[in-house]
Amino acid sequence: MTAATDDVTGNDLSSSRRPALEAPSDRDAFAKEFRRAHRRGLRRAAWLRALLNVTGILLFLAVWEAVPRLGTWVNPVLLPPPSVVFDTFVPMLLSGEIPANILASLRRAALGFGIATATGVTAGLLTARIGLLHHVSEPILHGFRSVPSIALVPLSVLWFGIGEGSKVALVAWGSFFPIWITTFIGVRDVPAAYLRSAACLGAGRLATLLLVVLPAALPMILAGLRQGIAVSLILLVAAELSGAREGVAYMMSTGHQMFRVDIMLIGLVLLGTFGFIADRLFVALIRRLFPWYTTAS
Amino acid sequence: MSGPLIDFDRVSQIYAARDGSPVWALSDVSLRVEAGEFVCLIGPSGCGKSTLIHLLAGFLKPTSGAVRFRGRPLDGPGPDRGVVFQEYALFAWMTARQNVEFGLRMQRVSAPVRRRRALEALDRVGLRHAADRYPHELSGGMRQRVAVARALVVEPEVVLMDEPFAAVDAMTRTTLQEDLLRLWRETGVSVLFVTHNIDEAVFLAQRVVVMGAGPGVIREDLAVDLPYPRDRGSAEFGREYARIAAALARGSRGTDQSDGERRAA
Repeated sequence: MTAATDDVTGNDLSSSRRPALEAPSDRDAFAKEFRRAHRRGLRRAAWLRALLNVTGILLFLAVWEAVPRLGTWVNPVLLPPPSVVFDTFVPMLLSGEIPANILASLRRAALGFGIATATGVTAGLLTARIGLLHHVSEPILHGFRSVPSIALVPLSVLWFGIGEGSKVALVAWGSFFPIWITTFIGVRDVPAAYLRSAACLGAGRLATLLLVVLPAALPMILAGLRQGIAVSLILLVAAELSGAREGVAYMMSTGHQMFRVDIMLIGLVLLGTFGFIADRLFVALIRRLFPWYTTAS
Repeated sequence: MSGPLIDFDRVSQIYAARDGSPVWALSDVSLRVEAGEFVCLIGPSGCGKSTLIHLLAGFLKPTSGAVRFRGRPLDGPGPDRGVVFQEYALFAWMTARQNVEFGLRMQRVSAPVRRRRALEALDRVGLRHAADRYPHELSGGMRQRVAVARALVVEPEVVLMDEPFAAVDAMTRTTLQEDLLRLWRETGVSVLFVTHNIDEAVFLAQRVVVMGAGPGVIREDLAVDLPYPRDRGSAEFGREYARIAAALARGSRGTDQSDGERRAA
């Protein structure tokens, strides 16, 4: 800034002086400190949130532990406390039984969901963009959509056997519909201004589809995929309960036959964790891949 | 070039109302625009000024009559006619630079050239620094600047603007208008500009086409013979303003009448 002020202050005051408030270096320092304080605040808030989350879980476990122990009205065999469940869990985990079951279930869910994503998004795109196809397919697709997917479990077992095929098919079938319907709505409702802008800038059909229609419909498609994840879990369990040789729900049905409620509860916790982690991962992935899509969560 | 750049030849546009009765958006409208002209279309809502833009852009086909561009009938939208919409037309999933690059990408311009030209175009609207921001990170005025850059970067012969500055605040609007005039004079592009704002029309246009509603017709075609840059405070500006306001008032009396008739019917 001005050499004069520097001279004056530099000569008159000791080295520990504070520079004039309007000096740029001082402003920068202030901005730096402000940013640091702001970040600290955000971090502290995040920690506090995490702490509260954990507190909630611990509270829940404490109540669950206390009820079968203190209450005489609850049979501990029907509701074993978490400590008992945990004692059962550790050896099953170490023996590899639980990891094997988790892997089997995950494979089925991922495969079925993958098939549903590919077919659902394609079907949604085609039916929304091609009027003829829309009107031809509408009654059939909506008819099938109205059938609760669980009702197809026995049929699926007859058609695809009790092997992997019937499980994957059921998961794919169930999650296909939410993905298809949301993709359809998203593509149908792409704002006209986007399509017109693309046309004026010389975009052909394929470029419009890939660069404009798909990204514009993406928020809806993602909502459908998220719903699809939840539905796949439901159908996975239904399929495994109806007959399987491995899997988390199979493990639960074995526990049922052996009257081992602790094993059934392990299954429940695993399924809940699955769903939770899958959903969180999905949201994190969206944030990373599509920074412009800020309304996720 | 022989003949006008844009030629609306006795164009009528009819669409079906909710009850199935015909609505005349345009009735027997003829309008010619020469290359390099800046023309404003002004009129009450329902006078078909946006319909004219949509016809020329190629979004609509006229019910009767012909729309010719460079002497040839139109066949759908194309990059020789750029369009700037009122708002929300920037691709939300692309940064400002990617939006501007879109038209060049469609012309298969190589990536480095594309990038350079897009940055130049953003520079011309004063937004080079915002090249990597997404539309939701830009203010309304900045978004419209990007939209103008996106329309101009493919070097169209005419830019069609459908109330492009209607949704920004008055102060931003003034600077946007000045920038648009500068770009118009730098590039020599023709501009067809829809507005409902008399001040905007007098400030921008060489010609102001006053339209009337129900059915949509051209009432008057007024030349504004003021040198650029125009001074909003000057007496001449006030006179032109009054002239167009009077033409609009004459037109809207007719509209009120026809509205009354329709209600009576």
